[in-house]
Amino acid sequence: MNGFPAFLRLAGQPVLLVGGNTETAVPKARLLLAAGADVTVIATTLAAEILDWARTGRLTVYRRRPSAGDANGRAVVIVAVPDADGVAVAVAARAALVPTNVVDRPELSNFIMPAIIDRNPVLIAVSTGGASPALARRVRSWIEAVLPTGLGRLARTLEGARQGVNDALASAPERRRFWDSVLDGPIATRILRGDNGECPQFLTQLAAQGRDLTNGVVHIVGAGPGDPDLLTLKALRLLQQADVVIHDRLVSDAVLSHARRDATRISVGKAKGADSWTQAEINALLVHRARDGQRVVRLKGGDPNLFGRVGEEVAHLRAHGIEVEVVPGITAATAAASAAGFPLSHRGLASTVTYITGHGADDSEPDVDWQAAARSHQTLAIYMGLSRLTTVAGRLTANGLAGSTPAAIVENASLPTERRFVGTVATIDRIARDNRLTGPALIIIGDVVALADAAPASRLLSVAS
Amino acid sequence: MNRAPYSPPDFQPGHVWLCGAGPGDPGLLTLHALHALQNADVVVYDALVSDGVLGLARAEATLEYAGKRGGKPSPKQADISLRLVQLARQGLRVLRLKGGDPFVFGRGGEEALSLVAAEVPFRIVPGVTAGIGGLAYAGIPVTHRDTNHAVTFITGHDATGDVAGVDWAALAKGAPVLVIYMAMKHLATIADRLIDGGKAGDTPVAIVSNAALPDQRVLETTLAKASADAEAAGMAPPCVVVVGAVARLRAGLDWLGALTEGRVLEADPLGLGRERRTG
Repeated sequence: MNGFPAFLRLAGQPVLLVGGNTETAVPKARLLLAAGADVTVIATTLAAEILDWARTGRLTVYRRRPSAGDANGRAVVIVAVPDADGVAVAVAARAALVPTNVVDRPELSNFIMPAIIDRNPVLIAVSTGGASPALARRVRSWIEAVLPTGLGRLARTLEGARQGVNDALASAPERRRFWDSVLDGPIATRILRGDNGECPQFLTQLAAQGRDLTNGVVHIVGAGPGDPDLLTLKALRLLQQADVVIHDRLVSDAVLSHARRDATRISVGKAKGADSWTQAEINALLVHRARDGQRVVRLKGGDPNLFGRVGEEVAHLRAHGIEVEVVPGITAATAAASAAGFPLSHRGLASTVTYITGHGADDSEPDVDWQAAARSHQTLAIYMGLSRLTTVAGRLTANGLAGSTPAAIVENASLPTERRFVGTVATIDRIARDNRLTGPALIIIGDVVALADAAPASRLLSVAS
Repeated sequence: MNRAPYSPPDFQPGHVWLCGAGPGDPGLLTLHALHALQNADVVVYDALVSDGVLGLARAEATLEYAGKRGGKPSPKQADISLRLVQLARQGLRVLRLKGGDPFVFGRGGEEALSLVAAEVPFRIVPGVTAGIGGLAYAGIPVTHRDTNHAVTFITGHDATGDVAGVDWAALAKGAPVLVIYMAMKHLATIADRLIDGGKAGDTPVAIVSNAALPDQRVLETTLAKASADAEAAGMAPPCVVVVGAVARLRAGLDWLGALTEGRVLEADPLGLGRERRTG
């Protein structure tokens, strides 16, 4: 360990900031103000933000060259601009045993500033001991990604309940079990969602009743199109906590690899095969696992709210008294459009966007008003439409859509195996057959597809890899 | 060290990332967007990006607002595009952060084309759009097997602020479910045109303001009463309006209301009077 980790309480303490520029001084001033310090800024040039803070009385500024004497009587000195004057202040400050930090000059500093994650009152600091600030930022991103965003709220709520629970539960092991069950069960989910109205009192009551709190919550989570970078922060966190992950066939291995190694994974994919699960079987499985007190994640490709049958699963779980949380994901159409480089709506080209499923109930033709779908100034995104592409294209042209309307197919959108094809409504069916498309594919029809030529994929790819 | 939870590409100086910020809950940011926030030099954001999301930007990043403020007109689209080019040419990592998804009524196409014209390298990162994922928090799936096999998205007013120049009568007939962004300004007109076009006045409507945020509000009404009810309830933008039978499903699927307020959910909100088909 090349440093002693500590948090300084600077509320009301006199702190000197040398330098007033936007790049290095403003961020330091912002952090010092957030910590409640009594900040004095000395510099010959002062950024607009610093002047604004001075005008509103949040800090004091002196527009002049700093000198060694400025270090006297400070709780902390930060030199944001290490020119000759700045270095002289730093040397004087260190001689006076004042904690001193000089930006980008660790050899002049006797403390360094970590990358931080601030979920007040939870504060996490990351340091690489000055080895690599860029790496410290990466580590911070990794930690950010797995922390719930409502962490601060959770900490404050638990703090509010602490005394009451301590009074209700005499022994330390009992208390520990209680807090673990709160954090693992639906109550923490509620607080993280933003519901903390009655919570401290409620927790105290529960502790007094000795109730089991872990029973039953299912998170129905959108896994996005496949690229794990397109998982939401919430999806990642829930996956990492889940005891059991019940997933569709379309969820990618890269996404599933974020589940805990010891979590049970059950594929309930509706592949056209002998052992596919019926919706009733899936519903029963969800209820059974939740009743066992397991943390269940029901993982669906894309966004469960669109062609995801989320309604049926929520209704079934609620009917059995099991709490449910639905976590949306990135749906395939937006992922495909981003990857292919054309928008779904665009001024002058498409004022409406219609999403259609290629499969109706019991795999029949979908119940769609094709006359409306064939109207111009519209983008159509067709999900699961590959097997019925001939029919769909035929219905559209029969209802007046020009055969020359641009059309695209994106197979395995966002995955390394992604393939994109562009043609027209008249040719897209043959393109699909000629290229033997087999993966999950999204079909997009409309004039916006032509914009992919203006923003060619090659440009995006040259940035991508 | 365990393997990193994600590994998006490096954010290179002089590049612009057009990135969706989702409907508001920072938990609905993608890992890719988080990475962008933590590596950007400057974040150019619009009005629909929540403070919780901006709070994840690295402390050193400059946050630049490019939306409506205090009744002043919003900066012109051309000005925003120009600004992105300008910042990129200074060699900065420029994150253009938009509420929802940049390519679904986010005018991301226009900004991307300006970047192409200026030969600024860019990347587009999709986000959770309020009209689909955002409605999950209101207990409204935009599709349901008993109600619709298609859903149409539209914006309630065009770039000039007028009611969007679309054929509302055709939508009234052809779209079983309509999800309307930015609908509040012209809600009365839109409802009238849909009813004139043949949509029944008692078609279920849900109006969701601040979707997926802690102060989300949902009004359940009908097409004929939507405008008056919205005014009486003081519903204020940003709102997403859902027109169609799925809006009624909320009575059975408001999982958030059940979780936080103990709402009692109906087993058969569509009144089908039968067991839900399975299989």
